[in-house]
Amino acid sequence: MKLIELKDVTKSFDDGRKKIEALKTTNFSVEEGEFVSIIGPSGSGKSTFLTIIGGLQTPSKGKVYINDEQFSELAEKERAKKRFREIGFILQASNLIPFLTVKNQLQLVNKINKEKFDIKQVESLLSDLKIEELQDKYPGDLSGGERQRAAIARALYHDPSVILADEPTASLDTDRAFEVVEILARETKKKKKATIMVTHDERLTDYCDSVYIMKDGVLNKK
Amino acid sequence: MFLAWKEIKYSKTRFALIIGVVVLISYLVFFLTGLAYGLAQENRTSIDKWDATGIILADESNLNINMSMFPKDQMDEVDAEETASLGIASSVIQLEEETDDDSKINVTFFGIDGDEFITPEITDGDMFSDANEVVGDLSLKEEEGYEIGDELSLAGMDTTVTLVGFTENSKFNVAPVLYTDHETYQHIRASGFGEREEEIISAIVVRTADDTLEEVSIGTDDLELYEINEFISNLPGYNAQVLTFGLMIGFLVLIAAMIIGIFIYVLTLQKSSMLGVMKAQGISSTYIGKSVVGQTFLLSTIGVLTGLGLTLGTGLALPNAVPFQNNGLFFVSITTLLIVVALLGAFFSVRTVVKIDPLEAID
Ligand SMILES: Nc1ncnc2c1ncn2[C@@H]1O[C@H](COP(=O)(O)OP(=O)(O)OP(=O)(O)O)[C@@H](O)[C@H]1O
Ligand SMILES: [Mg+2]
Repeated sequence: MKLIELKDVTKSFDDGRKKIEALKTTNFSVEEGEFVSIIGPSGSGKSTFLTIIGGLQTPSKGKVYINDEQFSELAEKERAKKRFREIGFILQASNLIPFLTVKNQLQLVNKINKEKFDIKQVESLLSDLKIEELQDKYPGDLSGGERQRAAIARALYHDPSVILADEPTASLDTDRAFEVVEILARETKKKKKATIMVTHDERLTDYCDSVYIMKDGVLNKK
Repeated sequence: MFLAWKEIKYSKTRFALIIGVVVLISYLVFFLTGLAYGLAQENRTSIDKWDATGIILADESNLNINMSMFPKDQMDEVDAEETASLGIASSVIQLEEETDDDSKINVTFFGIDGDEFITPEITDGDMFSDANEVVGDLSLKEEEGYEIGDELSLAGMDTTVTLVGFTENSKFNVAPVLYTDHETYQHIRASGFGEREEEIISAIVVRTADDTLEEVSIGTDDLELYEINEFISNLPGYNAQVLTFGLMIGFLVLIAAMIIGIFIYVLTLQKSSMLGVMKAQGISSTYIGKSVVGQTFLLSTIGVLTGLGLTLGTGLALPNAVPFQNNGLFFVSITTLLIVVALLGAFFSVRTVVKIDPLEAID
């Protein structure tokens, strides 16, 4: 089943003087349980591609489907709601809230959804990621690798269908980076997510099912 | 509230400082209010004690009771449910055995008829029953150490008066009141204005059951009837005092609330990249906005209530001579006002939250 699908999507920016085609006409899809990575030089359009899938910006042309539902043409508020439900973001500098402990980061999701907080579920997720004993620590007290694992836990916690990771290993050394990517790959399979990871480091793509190369706004399979 | 509380708990020092500023400012506002109210009361407690509806003064006195005088027998022409005659005279008293200037006290004599309704309740000692006996405001005992039986000499007079009792809350124009009978009053007043044949009074105090003056007739053009509130607000200096303090307190409330608002605004700006990340995750502006407003509510409530507590505590510890007085109504409205205006300030921060672009969280 296709969890992510892009049909004839383009994105161009017009700054008044000249038009930049950040993303040329793209058709693309990711299946359930598939781990895809995108590599490419700086400025080639990787982040643009990822944020369009995540609904943070809308395509100039074409349509984005998430979990078989038209996403890119929803109103801003609806898109935010669907994003909260269906998409887990993992960002370069980690998307953790500095004043919440690892446990509270996850609890926040329950608070927003007005659900009961299930500590068992939290503990099993955290032990999956081997950060169980860190649940009462603040992000500032964690190492870079631990922080990214906590961020993965946060992204997985509300059980989204799609995981989008923009250079999740940029702040880590090679060993930690491999560890984090391995976890991402494992969780993608185990929990049947569709995961896209943008990275600079080609060695990390060993764990991926397919690798795409972005160059000047054109996406090609490697 | 979840986010709001967690953040306060995490950045304890920062929020303690903000709350500290709120506490100090609200303490200042409450304390000033207590002082202003207490001072205002000292102009009028003796009048409030009457629980009167109106007052009749000489027409030419221009609402100034010190300039009002007319023969006591004009009272016969006044038709109202309850009337009471009142003579007023300012004077300076001193314990008979003392001679230095420091021991002199400004007072106002109220000459009254012992069986009319403005007769004060005695809290200590007895009502005057003979000429040259007086009942004084309790502050004379609490602040000056006067006692029952003391002989008081009056400036410009050879006679002395005897203090026979005390009554509470009797100040007029910020000075204690001494009650005495009309006969004694005529002597005291005469020392200032010269002896007259007829008995002279300053005012007739009127009380009606329905609290209106419609049924009251005064029967002569020489007198004029006023609402008691109009009389109070025309006491010399009273209105100017109330206005000055009122404005000061009003501005303080505004400034205090703006400071809270600015703090919250700066905090929100500082957090904007984090808020961008939250919005990228799909957390709604409404949720974030609610927690900003909730946090402001927590900070201002904790701060303002602590300030109020400090004020009440200080009020207890103050010496009697300080005209500080609590007023529940004022304190409750200032508390509400401070919190509400601080919340208004928080809504400005919510606007910035709405404007944050989640796209900026990426890269
Ligand atoms: N909001 C915008 N307005 C104008 N141009 C933009 C905007 N966002 C991106 N671009 C342009 O689109 C192109 C692609 O940018 P993008 O951020 O997607 O690159 P990237 O592949 O993520 O680069 P990096 O590896 O450095 O993160 C760049 O030329 C960039 O200048
Ligand atoms: Mg990028």
